[in-house]
Amino acid sequence: MRDRDGTELELQTRDMMDREGVPDGTTVTMKARSERDVREIIREAHDGAAPLRIVGSGTWLRGGHPVDAGRRLDVSGLTGIVEYVPGDLTLTARAGTSLAELGDATAAHHQWLPLDPFGDPRGSLGATLATASCGPLGSSIGQPRDLTVGLTFVTGEGQAVQGGGRVVKNVAGFDLVRLGIGAWGTLGVLTEATVRLRARPEADETLALALPAEPDRLADFLTSLRQAAIDPLCAELLNGALATRLSLGDGEVLLVRLAGNPVAVHHQRDVLARLGDLNEAPGTTWTKLRESDPRDGLVVRMSRKPSELPRLWAAARTITSVEAHATVTRGIVRLRIPDGLTIADADPLAAFDEDDARIIEQGRAGDGVMPSPAGVGELAERLRLAFDPLRILNRGILGESLHDRG
Amino acid sequence: MYTADGLPGYRRQPTLVVIPGTRDEVIDVVRLLAKHNVPFVPRGAGTGLSGGALADGVVLLALHRLRRILSIDPANRVAVVEPGVVNTSLSREAAPHGLHYAPDPSSQTACTIGGNVAENAGGPHCLKYGVTMNHVLALTVVLPNGSVVSLGSADGERPGYDLVGVFVGSEGCFGVALDVTVRLTRNPEAVRTLLADFTSIDAAAQAVSAIVAAGIVPAALEMMDRGTIRAVEASIYAAGYPVDAAAVLLIEVDGLATGLEHDVELVDRICSEQGARSVRTARDDAERMRLWQGRKKAFGAMGRIAPHLVVQDAVVPRTRLPAVMAEIGRIAERHRVNVCNVFHAGDGNLHPNIAYDAGDADEATRVGAAMRAIMQLCIDSGGSVTGEHGIGLDKLEYMPLIFPGDTLAAMCRLREVFDPDRRANPGKVVPLRACREWAGVRAVRGDA
Repeated sequence: MRDRDGTELELQTRDMMDREGVPDGTTVTMKARSERDVREIIREAHDGAAPLRIVGSGTWLRGGHPVDAGRRLDVSGLTGIVEYVPGDLTLTARAGTSLAELGDATAAHHQWLPLDPFGDPRGSLGATLATASCGPLGSSIGQPRDLTVGLTFVTGEGQAVQGGGRVVKNVAGFDLVRLGIGAWGTLGVLTEATVRLRARPEADETLALALPAEPDRLADFLTSLRQAAIDPLCAELLNGALATRLSLGDGEVLLVRLAGNPVAVHHQRDVLARLGDLNEAPGTTWTKLRESDPRDGLVVRMSRKPSELPRLWAAARTITSVEAHATVTRGIVRLRIPDGLTIADADPLAAFDEDDARIIEQGRAGDGVMPSPAGVGELAERLRLAFDPLRILNRGILGESLHDRG
Repeated sequence: MYTADGLPGYRRQPTLVVIPGTRDEVIDVVRLLAKHNVPFVPRGAGTGLSGGALADGVVLLALHRLRRILSIDPANRVAVVEPGVVNTSLSREAAPHGLHYAPDPSSQTACTIGGNVAENAGGPHCLKYGVTMNHVLALTVVLPNGSVVSLGSADGERPGYDLVGVFVGSEGCFGVALDVTVRLTRNPEAVRTLLADFTSIDAAAQAVSAIVAAGIVPAALEMMDRGTIRAVEASIYAAGYPVDAAAVLLIEVDGLATGLEHDVELVDRICSEQGARSVRTARDDAERMRLWQGRKKAFGAMGRIAPHLVVQDAVVPRTRLPAVMAEIGRIAERHRVNVCNVFHAGDGNLHPNIAYDAGDADEATRVGAAMRAIMQLCIDSGGSVTGEHGIGLDKLEYMPLIFPGDTLAAMCRLREVFDPDRRANPGKVVPLRACREWAGVRAVRGDA
């Protein structure tokens, strides 16, 4: 970690953010155990204009942007389920609670929280919501913005605000829930959230469908898939390298998750079998896909409208030595590029269009590209200043300049 | 017609009604208003039920002439529409592609997409498909200061703040949508509609919870109580509901054709186990439409009982439905008013409605008192004072009861990001008092 005007700002590595590890002796960590602690720590930081790096369970992916903060606010102690009424299919938990813990608690009632971000299962609810992270389920029921009905966060001035509530439908007042989701902690530190749950489906099957060997048949294949009478929970294209890692053979496959009542699931399996060579795969393949994200190198997400997916996938194919997968219905291709291939050197992403949105989920300082859509830069800036006037929360994490304000 | 919206009992006189016909005219008008620092209220079709589109001595900006569907992209299942496009007309235009626009408020044959965006409108089928917020991908907005911004994207993710999510449901306080990019939903292959007849509201409410707990996500799960059933059956919308039932559930399941019967049988069995006297599945589309017409026109049917109708909107956790419904009955008795309940039971979104004569001062007072008691009940039950109609003018008084001062202040701050002068839909959604308090707090902290 270097100083503010340094030219060699390094990212805090994932290890540095780990709960136990404090390898950088100059960084002060303040551990909050309650919302009140969070308010007090932020107020103090605000009064001293001292920026804070917010750290949960320490498994956030590195977004390619350095955070300019001499102190860390550790919210990993804010754990526990506050309220869980299975009959309401809602659950309120403190932000530091891990997704794994929520998984266990809900499974006991034959329910689940369909959040499946890539990375470590120790990842917290708060970090998942703050980064609006989703995995394969994001194409159906797993988007944080759709699943969150209530959100408490502490602003950069140390005020706790409560968006939404504990009911699943609510339009009272302006939407502070959506404000906090995907803001990367820059508008407030999340302390508690209420999320919607689902009852577990009666049948839940994972299948691997071999893709046509001829690359130019992919577009036709995807059209057939889109028109087919199926309604999958997830549908991910995997390249050969990733299929190999997940023990699904060495060719490209479409990994599909079908869920619902057994009659409907079996019927959809038959429909899929007509599209190619279909094999059963273990349900744990999804967990393996999420957890096999590399700890170094680049992870880049390219996204366009879904009809652009064949082109994106064709471009992904030209990059050797990457593991690639694509969320079919969302037009997202995700690339795991090993260390050594970087954007700055030989651009492995040259095969893509300039307009393809590139989101660096993990990378080195300076790799990050988080473009603002035209015209909202000022709006976003005003939003930031309204909720964190001194920009003490995760300063720099959205790719904003570190130098233009105190 | 511009002095009222769908909420009875309120009339406000705008100083001027401007009805632009093009996007450029809207921008010009907003810029002119900005230049002269004039407050204004955006309005869609005026079907809102919270008084949100009332302009009290300010300019009313009516957007219903901007009714072009700009594009439908079946491959990506999105449409771009102007704000004045009527909700059902979008679904009609999308139908040849096997698609529809999912949010379906009861006023959908009249209300506009722009109004739906402002209110984050819901509807019966939002139980499975989500509310307006879940279906808006991008917007072009003219901010109250006249600048035009595009929020969100239908062509690839845009990292950063969820400004679309923040704008949807902002009740006309954050600017005027010039175009809206919405998600279209594939029409289900098959639909089955069931009517379950219960002799107690409690049993019907238990059945609602049991259906959801079984892992079925019905497309819709609606409850109507005896008062509603009788109003509907006495009207031209008679749907064949059993008039001696305490409550009926209208349950719809949809999706792929194969396997749907499995869900129908399960719903049927659950309702019977919970004490339904009968469960009837619509045999054909005609019967299905008839069952739904009674539900969708229930408000109209109640309108025949008395000259005015309050259509209320509140939410409680689903497990609290039996207790809350019983208490609503007691409140109605206490205040001698006739409450008819017709609502989205699957997500606990109540619509207790009272037909009355607003000209009868005593009755109007009792109706007001009963409504306040019902709102307080929902708040005390851990719910919200609105699930889909918005705060508008009508529910301002309840905001301090559900949100603490710092939260209201944060809402004021959010509004000021979009509209620093608070000229867009002034006096709505957040009580002005809360904003003043916040301004005071900030000044003190700033001095420190």
